[in-house]
Amino acid sequence: MPMTNSSKTEQRDLFRGALEMMILRSLLREPMHGYALVQHIKQRSNELLQVEEGSLYPALQRMLKEGLVKAEWHISASNRRVRTYRITLSGKKHLEREISSFERMLAGITRVLSPTEA
Amino acid sequence: MSLKQFFTRRKIYDDLAEEIRLHLEEKTEALMAEGMNREEAEHTARREFGNVTRIEERGRETWMWPLVESLWTDTRFAVRQLTKNFGFAVTAIITLALGIGATTAIFSLVEAVLLRPLPFPESNRLVWIDQRDHSLPGVASESLSYPDYFDWRAQNHTLSGIASYLGSGVTYQDAGGSQRIDAQTVSANFFDVLGAAPMLGRDFQWSDEKPGNRVVMLSDSFWQSEFGSAKDVVGKTIGLDGHNYTVAGVMPKGFRFPLENPAPAMWKSIAEDAEGKDAPASQRGFDVLGVIGRLKPGVTVQQAKADLSLIAGNLARQYPDNNKQYSSALVEPELEHMTGDTRPALRMLFAAVLLMLLLVCANVAGLLLARGQRRSAEFALRAAVGAGRAAIVRQMLVESVALSLCGGAAGVALAAGLLRAILKFMPVDIPRIEGATLDVGVLLFVLAVSLVSGILFGVLPAWRTSRQAPVNALREGSRSVAGGRGQHRIHNWLVIAQTAIGMVLLVSSGLLMRSFIRILNVDPGFESKHVLTSRVALSRDTYKHDQLVLFYRQLLERISALPGVQSASAGWPVPMGTNDATISFKIQGRPLAPGDEPSESLGVVLPGYFETLRVPLIAGRNLGPQDGLAGPATMVINQSFQKKYFPGVNPIGQRIQPGIGDDVFNHPMREVVGVIGDIKHKGLTADADPQMYLPYAQAVITNPYLVVRTNADPAAMQGAINAAIHSLDKNVPVYQVSTLDDYLSKAAAEPRFQAFLLSCFAAIALVLAAIGLYGLLSYMVAQRTLEIGLRMALGAQRADVLGMIIRRGLTLSLAGVGAGLAISMLAMRLIAGMLFHTRPTDPVTFASTAALLVFVSFIATTLPAFRAARLDPMKTLREQ
Repeated sequence: MPMTNSSKTEQRDLFRGALEMMILRSLLREPMHGYALVQHIKQRSNELLQVEEGSLYPALQRMLKEGLVKAEWHISASNRRVRTYRITLSGKKHLEREISSFERMLAGITRVLSPTEA
Repeated sequence: MSLKQFFTRRKIYDDLAEEIRLHLEEKTEALMAEGMNREEAEHTARREFGNVTRIEERGRETWMWPLVESLWTDTRFAVRQLTKNFGFAVTAIITLALGIGATTAIFSLVEAVLLRPLPFPESNRLVWIDQRDHSLPGVASESLSYPDYFDWRAQNHTLSGIASYLGSGVTYQDAGGSQRIDAQTVSANFFDVLGAAPMLGRDFQWSDEKPGNRVVMLSDSFWQSEFGSAKDVVGKTIGLDGHNYTVAGVMPKGFRFPLENPAPAMWKSIAEDAEGKDAPASQRGFDVLGVIGRLKPGVTVQQAKADLSLIAGNLARQYPDNNKQYSSALVEPELEHMTGDTRPALRMLFAAVLLMLLLVCANVAGLLLARGQRRSAEFALRAAVGAGRAAIVRQMLVESVALSLCGGAAGVALAAGLLRAILKFMPVDIPRIEGATLDVGVLLFVLAVSLVSGILFGVLPAWRTSRQAPVNALREGSRSVAGGRGQHRIHNWLVIAQTAIGMVLLVSSGLLMRSFIRILNVDPGFESKHVLTSRVALSRDTYKHDQLVLFYRQLLERISALPGVQSASAGWPVPMGTNDATISFKIQGRPLAPGDEPSESLGVVLPGYFETLRVPLIAGRNLGPQDGLAGPATMVINQSFQKKYFPGVNPIGQRIQPGIGDDVFNHPMREVVGVIGDIKHKGLTADADPQMYLPYAQAVITNPYLVVRTNADPAAMQGAINAAIHSLDKNVPVYQVSTLDDYLSKAAAEPRFQAFLLSCFAAIALVLAAIGLYGLLSYMVAQRTLEIGLRMALGAQRADVLGMIIRRGLTLSLAGVGAGLAISMLAMRLIAGMLFHTRPTDPVTFASTAALLVFVSFIATTLPAFRAARLDPMKTLREQ
């Protein structure tokens, strides 16, 4: 997934699945529509991760197809027609697996990068 | 992707697009709330969102068939691979083009002749109708007479209509002179039964069948050529055979029936056959009509057959004199009946061409195997980096299908040429064959054949390659002393299969060839060289009986006097022509009930006919000038007639009464004055039938064929002959000009054509089988260079190496020949029906074709064998 950091000059691809993980984690809190998801991810990352807003949608389509999320059209509190995504049971399981494998990977990377080894 | 998803995909895409639009809207509003103006806000929202089109596309891709996408990638890769390996690709494509091209050409013939529906509405309801002759063995058919036809038409309950048609040549007179044209005499409902209607004028009516109502329907082409497509032709009067006919209308372009060649130029109402004292339409013994019916909706052929048989049974009881043996009906779908004769031959050709295609596939599979081996390192690398077995198989299959599609495209070009050549050179008159084209149906067939053969020849190499363990492949790909064993085993089988298929094709073409030669050596009973034939369209209305006899006597005198003419006479029917007549007869002293009388072939001849054709006289005397108008009624018979009716009896002086006559000689009792040799009339392969010949002067029943024996090229004489004819009557048309050689050659045309085409296939098969063997051995030598080098370094002689490779090649070819012979022993029974005096297991053919194949295989092995034997062991070892 192409993500941009705040400086906007230096782009770096996050590993595959990072965006999905963040989306699933956000949806675990509460069902949201696309625009709200983008705002939520931006806020939570303290603007460190700035998702190219559009890239969210192909990711959502993939997760829809795999049955990790469900989508539904309705009218929001602010009286807008929105398509709200909701995490499914298999989405929750998927998220748990991904987070644990991510944590292991992060631990590994942290160790390699830690200066004491050098 | 499930089917349901396929259909809901539209909705998914719409949702996505809508969602993105709403997203941008919300963002824009948020930005405007922060103080931007609308334009600026929209711009910023879009920038931060990214490329909308691209994102939508990526979203949609999620739902697409993953297979389709990867197939596309594979295809692009395959095309790159093939262009990189140009020589290989060209070889494979040419081979495939041969196989697919030949298959396509033959298929388009099969499609046009056998499969294409007749060009009439609801043509599957059209049926051919005839009566069955129970006096003959097997299922023999006999044409209906007019009275029978009228009864069947009136009494049946299963057909919505039955129409009759009767072909005849007519002399058409216009201001510029007269010409002979082909016409049909048809019942009033003829066009209606076929489901056609005139584009100009009116259809025939029932009243047109009554005497005096002579009307005619013109074909579009005759209307164009003779009347310049003038609309006012309807209602005009034209002259045919000296009678006036009113033009009822013009049929639309493309309408023709019957579908045989030549196409009728016009259709006459049956009024003329209903006129006169002994009108054909009132004679129940005049069995000449072609009959076509249209089944009522829902009625089966069997039901119609039962219905008409009931009527035939009643008529047989009612009119035993004429109908005794015709007590049931024959009904067949018209298409089936029309194509019945050509079906076995076309089936055999199609089977042969499919065999050839199979051989081509085996050949290309061999090429691919060898190439797959060379590319094994590439595939091993792919497998090592995680390509699944399925992915490798898929990619190889895509490559082979790409190859075969290219081959198919080239094959279409080849087929177009081949088809044109076949249609041009094929002398056989097969109905509808001229309609063979490379149309959409045929192109779809090519596509299907290409795909199937691509998979057929690709699957084995693909499976082989994908089965290799990457480690081994990488190792083998570098070098090894002996090549991959399993690889060779499969390759060996492919070569054996090719040789076996080649053998089957060779044997079948050999058998047909042998049979064809036997046919050519058949003695037709006459000498055809330098004999010119033609007919003079004299009208019975202008020439009375004695005038006709006089005309021919004078004409033959004048022609005989021409320089370059040896002798001249006339007779009917011409041997190997399309006419024939069988007539019932009584033999004096052998009384029989009228319906039980035998009938045999009948001819009429002028003096000198048998001498001119050099038909031997066996006993008695030939018919001569003394058998004229004034003389006693006489006839001659042929040997077969003598054997059948006068075994052990001297036929000379016997008296026979044939049931035919003219206005002067009305069914007289005739004396047999001579016996002549058998003349083959209906084809070279059939035995000559018993024949009776009457002197023309005593049986003026038709226009005889002039037969003129010349010293040199007979065709050059026609001008002088025409002049002689026109010196007697300057208006009379001369028609059916041909040579007797042409008639004879047409009689052998079908076996010649079959033998020729099959020999072409067999020749291609022979070359392909040899190439397959050569390819395998060359590849083997290349692979085993190191082994061979080592052997030679260790003391093996060149002769040993040579022998090793040749032994290998011969073992394979002998295995293939053996398998091919065994298959042929069983399979050739299928073509037994097409062979003339040749057993389907003819040992000479089997032995000689096997020898030919082994010899060619031997040549194919010597090249790689000598290459191996010439290897320099030191150089080889150094290079490895």
